[in-house]
Amino acid sequence: MVPRRKLIKGSTDSLLLCLISQQPMYGYQIIKELERRSRGYFKFKEGTLYPALHRLEKAGLILGKWQSLAGGRQRRYYYITNKGNSVMVAKMNQWRDFLVAMNLIIQPESI
Amino acid sequence: MSTSLISYVNSIRDNLRLEPSSEKEVIDELQAHIEDKLQELKEAGLSEDEAANTCVSLLGSAKLVARQLYEAHSQGTWRQTLLASMPHLFFALLFALNWWRGSGWLLIMLVLVLTMAVYGWWHGKPTWLFPWLGYSLQPVVIAGLSLLYLPTGWSWLAIFLYIPLASLLLYSITVQTIKRDWLYCSLMLLPVPTIIAWFLVVEPMGKFPEYWLERIHNFAPWIGLSFLALAVTVALFIRLRQRWVKVAVLVISGLLTLIMVACYAEGGLGLLALLVLIVLMLGLVLIPALLEHWIKHGKRQPTA
Repeated sequence: MVPRRKLIKGSTDSLLLCLISQQPMYGYQIIKELERRSRGYFKFKEGTLYPALHRLEKAGLILGKWQSLAGGRQRRYYYITNKGNSVMVAKMNQWRDFLVAMNLIIQPESI
Repeated sequence: MSTSLISYVNSIRDNLRLEPSSEKEVIDELQAHIEDKLQELKEAGLSEDEAANTCVSLLGSAKLVARQLYEAHSQGTWRQTLLASMPHLFFALLFALNWWRGSGWLLIMLVLVLTMAVYGWWHGKPTWLFPWLGYSLQPVVIAGLSLLYLPTGWSWLAIFLYIPLASLLLYSITVQTIKRDWLYCSLMLLPVPTIIAWFLVVEPMGKFPEYWLERIHNFAPWIGLSFLALAVTVALFIRLRQRWVKVAVLVISGLLTLIMVACYAEGGLGLLALLVLIVLMLGLVLIPALLEHWIKHGKRQPTA
């Protein structure tokens, strides 16, 4: 059986692009949001989120910008780029096709 | 911030080996994350120390995180690749087109190499700098070799002036480069075994300079080809992400280039000389790693 962390690793880029396309977010917020929306299924080893974000940024799919908060603190928010949007749409379509096919196998009575 | 978190962040910083501006961004971002996490854990009722330890454990291995961040940043752009390969390409052209005979071209090359090396050195030591830096040190080596031809009685000049000054310069640049990343020191020293190999091939009898010029002219296309091989090596080095693959490229390319020189040298490079040069090449690629360990270990020794 494929361990859960391997499943998550394979879908990291799709998850990050999807979240960031909905709203610009910073690293800590992304981890919390993933955990909340997946009801605890997607739990990142927190340090490994940043290499994934930086890889996507280097590929031009997202863009990091520092923003100052009240109290002098700074956070790096990530924004989706046009290229990132196109990649995200393609990945989402791929996932939908995959989920439909999986459902057809898992729940044959629904055919 | 607690000791465990400071040591975690320092461990990441030590293993990142990124350009200073990228390193600062990465560390600032991690520190912002740590502050958010600490606040959340303390609000959940954990003490300062408990929160710090939990935070470190949730972040994961510092070495792994640093390695993954390095791999996310380590692939140079095509512009950086071209800039880094340029000095080797220029030297390849210099020999392939027989421009090496014109002192004008040599002067242009010297000025270009020194300008690029000085510019890169004072502008954050970017990845493309190090091949240029390697060539900028060649005049120092050539000056040392030319001292061998000084008239008798002038050897004091070498002992009291050249050796201390050259050693100080080479030591200072090597240490500064290793502090940035030992792999860049290996990249900087990459052409040294090839240059020494061709030096041995063209100057086996010490008949300077007529015999040299004739021999260089005969071997010029092959000398150009070996510099072209170095340019390809640098391009691969810049484009690859993983460190161990970069090391493998330097070693394999070093071996192939030396074997190529031996093949085209028409017996001018014996088996023993080839073996010594291979050992030298392996030393130049790998000794910077040991020096880095020594520099960092030495830095952390507690004072008595």
